[in-house]
Amino acid sequence: MRDREINDILESARSSDSPQPESLTRISASIRESLRPVRPLPPAWLLTAALALVCAAVALAGAARAGFDGIEKMAPWVRGLVFATLGIFIVIAANASVKAVIPGIRRRFSTGPLLSLCTLALLAALALSFRDYHVDHFVSAGIACLITGLLHALPVALLAGLILRRGFAVRPATAGWIAGTLAGLAGVSVLELHCVNFEAAHVLFWHMAVIPVSAAIAAIAAAAWHRLHRFLAP
Amino acid sequence: MQPGANIEMLMARYQQGDFAAASALIDHVSPQLYRFFAAQSFSRADADDLLQETWLRIHKVRHTWRPGEPALPWFYAIARHIRVDHYRKSLRTVTGERRLETLAASLPRIPSPSDQTEQVAALLAPLSAAEREVLEMLKVAGMSLEEVAGATSSSVGSVKQKVHRAYKKLRKTLGIGQKGGRL
Repeated sequence: MRDREINDILESARSSDSPQPESLTRISASIRESLRPVRPLPPAWLLTAALALVCAAVALAGAARAGFDGIEKMAPWVRGLVFATLGIFIVIAANASVKAVIPGIRRRFSTGPLLSLCTLALLAALALSFRDYHVDHFVSAGIACLITGLLHALPVALLAGLILRRGFAVRPATAGWIAGTLAGLAGVSVLELHCVNFEAAHVLFWHMAVIPVSAAIAAIAAAAWHRLHRFLAP
Repeated sequence: MQPGANIEMLMARYQQGDFAAASALIDHVSPQLYRFFAAQSFSRADADDLLQETWLRIHKVRHTWRPGEPALPWFYAIARHIRVDHYRKSLRTVTGERRLETLAASLPRIPSPSDQTEQVAALLAPLSAAEREVLEMLKVAGMSLEEVAGATSSSVGSVKQKVHRAYKKLRKTLGIGQKGGRL
């Protein structure tokens, strides 16, 4: 059997089964009562900008409260490299978060590989910037940074949920994962602005750990929220 | 109405609260969505239920379609979500443990009344759920690669890869089938 014959069988199904006319009448009737004009979602770029701004605002507010000690201690090229990489990653993650709540939207790149590539790029930027290979108080100092990062990721996740509340995630856990990644990036930004521990192991492990932990928590929360909705639905 | 023609215009009017446009859209898009469900091993009754559920969801989230964007991938993305939810419910009922894609491939096939649908289901049976879905959208629904990518939340490259794998698998399976007299 050739490809053309396979295509012929598939294309022949275009004119096969149809739903019962009564079903279509029932569907039309069921939506009639609640049919009102609705306002379409704002443009994707506007939502992306709003999410990126929220990230920046939370990161700056967090660092303003805790102190800008980290960025003050950094060499100018390190500041440029780390914050430019973080900024680009935040915009990409914000855009991916918006696309996750608009069904059927076009994607140039698959989200998973794109975010993985961004994480690798951030890891590389941090590895290039921080070359102190001493290890002091690895766990105690690390846990403190992880908690600080996650505490700043939380408001970003909540605000992202608020901004994207009118969207519809066809894959809720994935949408949660992406929003959690974005929130985690805000947490990492706070740590880079504030933390003066420049040991490579500390930065590469504990600062970066904020991203997957935040993403996993958000994915679980989104999936649980979706299940709850499905369970409560009539 | 030709496939794809005026769906976007009807959708825009549906968003503005025009019942005639909503009804026309239901009449025009429902057969495609119905076949999408019917070709996935669902009985006629199941396909009818899923179609109704899809329209209720479409109605609830109709504001998420943005004027100027193609509407067909948007419809299919929602239909796909409803179908995945249906599979998950079946998953809990049938095994409680087996993975979604395994279930999609192993669910008992309930033949639909149409010969063509049955023939398509038999042809696509060796494929994974994702490959089957992509081929159905491309060949049965007549969507473009870009539209299928939108509906499946993936890139065009990823869709092309799935299609390539699906055809490769079909060629292999059908070759064996001809020798063994299965098809």
